[in-house]
Amino acid sequence: MADHAALAELNQDYASRYGFHDPEEYLVKAPKGLDHEIVQMISRYKDEPEWMRRFRHEALDTFHAKPMPAWGNTAMLGAIDFDDIHYYLKPTDGQERSWDDVPDNIKQTFDRLGVPEAEKKFLAGVTAQYESEVVYHSIQEDLEKKGVIFTDMDSGLREHPDIVRRYWATVIPPTDNKFAALNSAVWSGGSFIYVPPGVHVEIPLQAYFRINAENMGQFERTLIVVDEGASVHYIEGCTAPVYSSNSLHSAVVELVALKGGRIRYTTIQNWSTNVYNLVTKRALAHEDAVVEWVDGNLGSRFTMKFPCVYLVGERAHGEVLSIAFAGDGQHQDAGAKMIHAAPNTTSRIISKSISRGEGRSSYRGLVKMHRGARGSKTSVECDALLLDETSRSDTYPTMEIAVEDARVEHEARVSKLADEQLFYLQSRGIDPEQARLMVVNGFIEPFVRELPMEYAVELNRLIELEMEGSVG
Amino acid sequence: MAEHALVTGPLPDRVNHLWRYTDPALLVPPSTESAGTPIAAPPSVELPQEAIRAGVRVDLLDRAGILPPELGMAVPADHGVFEALNLASWNSGVVVRVPPGATLAEPLIVTFEAGAAPLIGRLLVLVGDGAEVALVEEHEGGSTGSMVFGVAELRVGAGAHLRHVLLQRWSAGVRGHLTQRAVIGRDATAVTVVGSLGGKLLKADVGTVLDGEGAHSEIIGMSLGEKKQHVDLHTEHRHRAPRTTSDMDIRAALTSKAHSAYTGLIRIEEDASACEAFQKDRNLLLSPRAKAETIPELEILNNDVSCSHGATASPVDPEQLFYLQSRGLAPDEAVRTIARGFLEPVIARVPASLRDRVAASVERRVLRLKGANR
Repeated sequence: MADHAALAELNQDYASRYGFHDPEEYLVKAPKGLDHEIVQMISRYKDEPEWMRRFRHEALDTFHAKPMPAWGNTAMLGAIDFDDIHYYLKPTDGQERSWDDVPDNIKQTFDRLGVPEAEKKFLAGVTAQYESEVVYHSIQEDLEKKGVIFTDMDSGLREHPDIVRRYWATVIPPTDNKFAALNSAVWSGGSFIYVPPGVHVEIPLQAYFRINAENMGQFERTLIVVDEGASVHYIEGCTAPVYSSNSLHSAVVELVALKGGRIRYTTIQNWSTNVYNLVTKRALAHEDAVVEWVDGNLGSRFTMKFPCVYLVGERAHGEVLSIAFAGDGQHQDAGAKMIHAAPNTTSRIISKSISRGEGRSSYRGLVKMHRGARGSKTSVECDALLLDETSRSDTYPTMEIAVEDARVEHEARVSKLADEQLFYLQSRGIDPEQARLMVVNGFIEPFVRELPMEYAVELNRLIELEMEGSVG
Repeated sequence: MAEHALVTGPLPDRVNHLWRYTDPALLVPPSTESAGTPIAAPPSVELPQEAIRAGVRVDLLDRAGILPPELGMAVPADHGVFEALNLASWNSGVVVRVPPGATLAEPLIVTFEAGAAPLIGRLLVLVGDGAEVALVEEHEGGSTGSMVFGVAELRVGAGAHLRHVLLQRWSAGVRGHLTQRAVIGRDATAVTVVGSLGGKLLKADVGTVLDGEGAHSEIIGMSLGEKKQHVDLHTEHRHRAPRTTSDMDIRAALTSKAHSAYTGLIRIEEDASACEAFQKDRNLLLSPRAKAETIPELEILNNDVSCSHGATASPVDPEQLFYLQSRGLAPDEAVRTIARGFLEPVIARVPASLRDRVAASVERRVLRLKGANR
């Protein structure tokens, strides 16, 4: 553990040692690698309260003490060089990339999706601002009237310290895993949402409504607290590919649904394929609360993401609906966890994965029924589709049942595109490529159905792009 | 005085899911004061007349003699630390050779009897092309503190048909680790039945490698756990050749504080096209303190497949219990009836010539079941 006396001293001669008065100046110069000085710089720059500064330092010690996970794709994990990463770059200041640096295939995808010019630049990281001010303002006004807080995490900590401190890291402590510890030490950006009791937020809240958004950060940190009987739908990211020059992204997302609260959290992850995306997402569902993760993984080189719901109150319900698409060179290691820790809790996991070319998709899940979870039920369904001879699919579900009257059901299927379906479609005059696309679209339809319309449309177009040239 | 340990390598990392539910330290035999392997009796072999006439040969494995070259091929030392221990220090071994084309109706029975010293059993079965044979491998005896380490290697030739029953009926208090691998050739069939009925702790690793085109394998498992019994079963089917098919059907019924862990793997290798593989695991929890863990796994590296798996855990249906009791069955007998009904579908899959033997063992065990203490 950190020696706090030493850390406090470290702070004393800060100005003389680093001499940065203009924060932008030092941020641009922030060296690669990670130590207590870097953590100190981040906290100081953000002018954070003492408890957060300590939290970061302790988390850094935890990060150094924890071994790398010895499970999963250890070859990919082993390729991460923690010393070769910039741990803090303020997006608004760090943007020195020009549109010309954005890879052609990403530009083309934007064009094909019909993404507007300003949004393209935002997504490609050329600008950090997406001019949706008008939309955003009217939404903000409406939310404020209802007492809903929707802001970025840094502002949340400044403006609503009590709520943030009360729930911060209560769902995912830094000791949870190495990457949660890393995020806790160097987090920046992300969203903070609080919905007061009984308030229903009618429209989905989308991270990229916000101007000056730091939501695409490397180590974003999101906290959503939905008070008793309230509800919210939050949408993270977007279907269009997000180009990032940062090779490691490690977010922590904590959700708290108090008694009778409802949270739906939708993610469509489409990082460019140089990115390692190692994310910890977990929710607490109290009595009669409902938490749903709708999780799509299309991009990145390697994703490890297992959205989790702790069902801690009686009759709480958790749900994960996910799809993964793994193309050449990609490994989507995604799944879900449901921890039943109260009586009569229920959960459902539906996972669909598609592997194409040399892509590999894995479902890795955990369902745990604690002794007190009497009368609880869960069902898990995994379907995998393999498009090519070189594609790979794995299913690694874990079920731990320590209560007699629980019902646990798990089913998984792996198959290739059904010849008879393709034959039927082709006999109706549909060309082979179109036929394959139709079967794949049918396969992921249960997921697409749950998305807001504009996302569903974009996702379908993206799948179309991914499937192009898949015949022959 | 110097201590001599039988286990020489590091113990398995418990981060690995295959060891998540069982502490390998519980399976480490105590060090001995003298070097060399502990003394154990050789397995007993029941060989029907018919088998002798057909030319089946049974030889005790003898370190001083010439060892069969197949020893350690299906389960090499690098399989794991307990398999390494076995290959280095087996003290009770037998090799069964079934000549090509031999067709036997009666099963061969090999019995390993646990004793005071660690029993390190080794069974090698070589089935010639086109032969048909049934073999029962029984693990019996022992007392509190007894330890057993068993490895069975079975090589099944082209077009041959092997039925193999692995029956664990140790006395209470016995701990053991059993590994079995069958490697089956072109158009061969292997049906493996694993029954875990006794002992205190069993960690078993049972698998078949489908090595030749058109091969078919089934693994059928049943376990009944009581008191603080702990059964950790891993089964796997590795499809290495095209057009191979497999099925696993595993059931565990648990009373009292029994603990069952099951991991099952279906792996389809890159070149194994047009395969079909299925797996089911069901758990019946008969008491509030029983525990079950199950991890059915799929690793599919070829797209021309049809694979599925399913796992369930459920309590005794109170309506069934109520019905049976309303028909005059005592609570204990009602639970036994439900347990019989739960295991019946897997018992029905045991090849006919072995079914009575397995069913009788299971029934003896079912008779000890008690209704849950509520």
